[in-house]
Amino acid sequence: MVKNVVTDGDLVISEQQADELRELGNIGAAHAATTLSTILSTMIQIRVPEIILVNLANLRNYLDDVRAALTVFQIQGQISGEGYLILHIPEDSIIRLTNIMIGTTELNREIDDMDKSAINEIGNIMTSSFLDACATLLNIIMIPSPPSMVIDMPHAALESIIATQEIRENVDEVVLFRTELTCATHEIKANIILLPSRSLLQEIFARMENVIAISG
Amino acid sequence: MNGTTTGNDQREVIIIGIGEWSTGDSVMTSIGLGSCIGLVLHDETKKIGGLAHVMLPKSSGKPNERAGKYADTAVEVLIKELTLKGSKISNMKAKLAGGASMFQNFSGNLNIGERNAEALKAILKELSIPIVREDLGGTIGRTVTYFPKENGRLVIRQADGTTREI
Repeated sequence: MVKNVVTDGDLVISEQQADELRELGNIGAAHAATTLSTILSTMIQIRVPEIILVNLANLRNYLDDVRAALTVFQIQGQISGEGYLILHIPEDSIIRLTNIMIGTTELNREIDDMDKSAINEIGNIMTSSFLDACATLLNIIMIPSPPSMVIDMPHAALESIIATQEIRENVDEVVLFRTELTCATHEIKANIILLPSRSLLQEIFARMENVIAISG
Repeated sequence: MNGTTTGNDQREVIIIGIGEWSTGDSVMTSIGLGSCIGLVLHDETKKIGGLAHVMLPKSSGKPNERAGKYADTAVEVLIKELTLKGSKISNMKAKLAGGASMFQNFSGNLNIGERNAEALKAILKELSIPIVREDLGGTIGRTVTYFPKENGRLVIRQADGTTREI
């Protein structure tokens, strides 16, 4: 059992691979958090990224059906395989976050188009910095696709994305790489979830080993 | 699974994850169906049935595949288990919920929800199992709960809290 790695299936990664992923995630999440911090002009805390190796049947233990905003970006660029970067914002954080961007204070209102475009924008900026930082480290080009957003059940949204990967790779397990960002001042929470396909994950490991060998 | 509930006590709820299935008379639920489909086969004469959380339209035929994950093998495994519990195919009725297309503008969007629905409908038609109710498509996630002992009703809940029954 590798520390800080949640695993409940047959898929295992080595201690070194876990370190590599965590390092990559820390760098990506730190950049995304800095960007969010600039937008909100306040401190953002990030939790240690969680690496979740999960059997599909148990995905429900890590993603629920409680309404949230999910902004999904496909990772594009010079990469093999495919991957997604997802910004998850719980429902009660959405309005608090967009209010700061739009410049209003009314909390008891419905989520409107203005909020949605604000969320897309914040997702764009955060995922771009996340991917930029990772790409620089890995020495490849990674850019986010245009965003696709739903305000719905996280399990339903991710299951739909995983199905498109599954139809090609046909594996029963997925790797979720999740970092929680918290803004205590405004009581805002968000999660950045990296969902690599099996082949992208292998490429990340190979490139990280290269980086370590060179810097080593 | 421990099925020691008695009478109308339906506190035991079996949670069916992606690719899983269950049969019997306990309440069964699948949370957060997106492009996946909750497939119910219900036998009102025996007041039992099954629920499978189907993710993809067709199995590849490789060994060790999770039967509930694919439309073809999910129908097969539910029928097999229900038959062992005394049901006849001619008494089985199907209900389908899910198969949404949650992301419209994706290159990765392969209409899997729609393909899952088509696959299940074709297989059930072949077996002459009627689809009595369905709640398919759209762009929304669904959590479904199936009550075999209550006429096989299937309750569908959306993220915004609205529920309906089919």
